[in-house]
Amino acid sequence: MKWALLFLVAGVALVASVLVGPAGLQSDIVWNLRAPRTVLAFLVGGSLGAAGASLQALVRNPLADPFLLGLSGGAGLGAVLAIALHLPGPWALPIAAFIGALAALVLVYRLGRIGGGVLDPRILLLGGVAVGAFAAAITTAIVSLADAAELRNAFLWLWGGLSSASWDAVLLIGVYAPIPLLVLLGASRPLDLLALGEEPARYLGADVEQVKRRVYLAASLLTAAAVAVSGVIGFVGLIVPHLARGTWGHRHRALLPASFIGGGALLAIADTLARTVVAPRELPVGVVTALIGVPVFALLLRRWTVA
Amino acid sequence: MLRRLLFAVLIVGACRSDGRTVGRSAQRIVSLLPSFTEILFAIGAGDRVVGRTTWCDYPPAALDVASVGDGIPPNIEAVAARKPDLVVLYNSGPNVTAAQQLERIGIRTVLLDLNRLEDLGPATRKLGQLTGLEQRAESLAAAMDSLVLHRPPPSSTNLAFVVWDNPPIIIGAGSYLSQLAALAGARNVFDDITAPSAQVSLETIAARNPHWIAVLADSAVPPAFAQRREWRAVPAVRAGQFLMLPGSLFGRPGPRSAEAVRQLKALLAQ
Repeated sequence: MKWALLFLVAGVALVASVLVGPAGLQSDIVWNLRAPRTVLAFLVGGSLGAAGASLQALVRNPLADPFLLGLSGGAGLGAVLAIALHLPGPWALPIAAFIGALAALVLVYRLGRIGGGVLDPRILLLGGVAVGAFAAAITTAIVSLADAAELRNAFLWLWGGLSSASWDAVLLIGVYAPIPLLVLLGASRPLDLLALGEEPARYLGADVEQVKRRVYLAASLLTAAAVAVSGVIGFVGLIVPHLARGTWGHRHRALLPASFIGGGALLAIADTLARTVVAPRELPVGVVTALIGVPVFALLLRRWTVA
Repeated sequence: MLRRLLFAVLIVGACRSDGRTVGRSAQRIVSLLPSFTEILFAIGAGDRVVGRTTWCDYPPAALDVASVGDGIPPNIEAVAARKPDLVVLYNSGPNVTAAQQLERIGIRTVLLDLNRLEDLGPATRKLGQLTGLEQRAESLAAAMDSLVLHRPPPSSTNLAFVVWDNPPIIIGAGSYLSQLAALAGARNVFDDITAPSAQVSLETIAARNPHWIAVLADSAVPPAFAQRREWRAVPAVRAGQFLMLPGSLFGRPGPRSAEAVRQLKALLAQ
């Protein structure tokens, strides 16, 4: 029943997103702009939802979201460098952002293993915040020192948006995202055990160290790709996993797919609203995800705590 | 009694401001906007400009003036080090704060609006008054005013100014550039947006189907987004209908605005 409802919501969101737009139903625009944008919104939202759900389990912190581990700072630095150095080519910005996110990932991972071979979730969190802040500081320094007036627009990109959606981007994410998603899904049983704490999980037969490494890398690679094609879209990866957990419980075999579909539906709806509510102008999609997500979240939080 | 006291205060106040503003024309001026630098040079006060921003690149003689940085926000100490007796600033939030700080250390400042063509005349007259070059300023200001009084010709084509590609940001009716286009005979397809600039979705640009895509850039090479697949859904991008407009001439209202209109007209006629 709840699965049917989720699929229904996602289906309606996708169809509405393709049909509704400021430009009406011109076939060229629908096919070349709106359809790929809708699919990309779903894939990015889903990736953020699944990455958020698994990271929250990994660091055992309900506040974790895909960007907490420094990836947004790294991606932003990469993007600003691409603009400041006038890197040529239509894909320069997403590639630079992806490399920046990967650099942050590696750095945080190294920090996380600072106390020997084991990956400490607490140090991972602190390392993520530190690396993110450091990257953001360098980014701001470049923006304020460089001559290029267009650099200020790099911040707009960072706030997130799907305007660069094309079938090329869809193909790229469509091929790339399933790999880390399957890795996460494969780790769902050990992730369930990890919720009990590392010691009990170990006693119950989980290879805790390997699971932590795998989940961290898979979730981060997923987020890095999402940020490269659409900037930093907040709240999806934080709120959707909690909503899914409230409905599907803590079993990751159900939680991860539900977070994926829920995140995809939320971002598709949010992007449709972003394009249409103030047309011909457009809102940054992160604003809309927050405006929808936070009240829904507050409402459910109240219901859960009362019940 | 009270009224008399008020009157006396007013008189004293007026005398003080007279002594400060009208009594003495500015001899050492720091200009913190390229348009102001151009106007000062055009009215014959160029030799009194002792500080400029890094963006002030016209007339060429302006490049000999010491730069005080990019001016956003103004570096107060760099400005003060030029020992100016007048600092000309564009009227915006951070500049108001900067002006207050400069006034506090005894440097006279003036904040001028310069967003649209109709701001040019008043700004020029004010600068003429502050430099004691009222006559030359008046003739320049009159020429500038005639641009606005001029009824724009019926538009024969249309365009969209694309400021940024991801997210797409375009110029709306509130901008000086929209006025330039209208005077050159091209309607801005986003003239229903009253703001100077706005984020829009790519599909709106494609649906409004502008004949030209105008970009402020110093190179003649089409922008990188021209090769991106999603932008090729816009017919003008596919057809390579780009107007590459040098920012120094087109990006700022000033004494050369009429020249900018002429050049844009010539480009549109091609």
